[in-house]
Amino acid sequence: MGDEHLISKKEVLEQMGISYGQLYRWKRKGLIPESWFIRRSTFTGQETFFPKDKIVERIGRIKDMKGEHALDDLAEVISEHVNAKLQIAFGKLRQLRWFDEDLARSCGIVEDEAGTLSLRDALCLAVLKKLRRSSREEEVELAGRTLNQAVAKTGVDLTALEGKTLHLLRKQLTGAGISAEISVIVIARDELIVDPEMRRIDSIDLAAMLQQVKLDLAKCCGPGVVDETSSENQDCGRENHE
Amino acid sequence: MSEERKSVSISGAGNIAGGSYSRVSISGAGKISGDLYAEELKMSGAGRVSGHCEVVRLSVSGTAKFEKAVVADEMKVSGVAKVDGPVKVKELKCSGTFRSSENISSEYVKVSGQLHVGGDVEAEIFRASGGFDIHGLLSADRIEIHPGGRCRVKEIGGARIDIRRYGSRDHPGLLDSLLRALSSAWGGEVEAELIEGDEIYLENTRADIVRGKQIEIGPHCKIGLIEYSESLKVHDDSNVGKQTKI
Repeated sequence: MGDEHLISKKEVLEQMGISYGQLYRWKRKGLIPESWFIRRSTFTGQETFFPKDKIVERIGRIKDMKGEHALDDLAEVISEHVNAKLQIAFGKLRQLRWFDEDLARSCGIVEDEAGTLSLRDALCLAVLKKLRRSSREEEVELAGRTLNQAVAKTGVDLTALEGKTLHLLRKQLTGAGISAEISVIVIARDELIVDPEMRRIDSIDLAAMLQQVKLDLAKCCGPGVVDETSSENQDCGRENHE
Repeated sequence: MSEERKSVSISGAGNIAGGSYSRVSISGAGKISGDLYAEELKMSGAGRVSGHCEVVRLSVSGTAKFEKAVVADEMKVSGVAKVDGPVKVKELKCSGTFRSSENISSEYVKVSGQLHVGGDVEAEIFRASGGFDIHGLLSADRIEIHPGGRCRVKEIGGARIDIRRYGSRDHPGLLDSLLRALSSAWGGEVEAELIEGDEIYLENTRADIVRGKQIEIGPHCKIGLIEYSESLKVHDDSNVGKQTKI
């Protein structure tokens, strides 16, 4: 790293024609890794520098995307290494806030002998984790099975999940003095219209969740995933031979 | 057959296990051991959560301590809250005292009390009229600060940064003038090493370096170095060491 060409923040803004607001926004979104911000003291005081080639390439890509896609789609581009084929090291996952080992175990998602987990399972876990705040254990488990089914059909990518939402519904059934409650999990595109007695407990936007998962992975694996392509395999996972 | 999610309330002294609940309220002294998942958590007495806390709505009007991460859609602190882990919420409103030893990330942050953060604060909109102490970077698209006490932060970065005393708007009302008088009596001031943004307006601010496109320095500022690319205006009552156009 030491011999790399560095470029100051001022120069980046000027050369790429971007604003401070954009740069800080992209940093918050995890599109520019924390490790690229290098603090140095200069004769004018503290300044921030970046590895030149990387930042120029990255910002170029971010700017290219901006016209056609929503900013959030960038997450997809930046974290494209983290695709369905790439396995994610369990160890890295443990650093993520939505990772929950008990939940993983109860869904039958386990570490394989290489200590990795597929993106599909990662998405599943993130959704279930979110659902846990509002649902019962067996509902979480039901959601897990439904989600697996859906993903098995379409695969994990943004286009397949776009606009799809997972809903948890409950309905009270009463008759002959007995009352029971049923839980229903639905994955649907667009707005869901159900009978008025059905109560909607929680809804999770799957495409948004996938983006979040990818961004989180890119952030947490930081230097591994998005930084050095060379160390990518050891750091963050390995190709799955299919 | 299915186990209903329960609501629980502790009004004396009590200890409950973590897990999934519908509503949890602590009005006496209570401890939740383990991870907590709930739609709502209200702490109006003295409460403590020893695991992760993931809830939809969280309000603290008493004292609360969270020993791990807090994830919520809405977090309101009007009492005293302390978090020993990262905080990830959609909306954070603090009119009491909030301490976090790690980073805070929230779309909207409003501080009218006191905020102490060991790490960074990331938001889309950050509004403060109280005091704060942020050890890392305060980064948001829009930052509006009316310093009501001591406001210390290492770095500030964003698109629009506006720091001004109460009542320095165009038509000060009675309340504004009162607050203004009070805030100067308290010596409300922002201290930062570095402030970077596209549009910056500062009053009552001490900073080593200010960098931006359009910068206006209002009264009562002491700035070491200003680097601007489009425009710069400096008030007579402020002190600027060095200024350069880049």
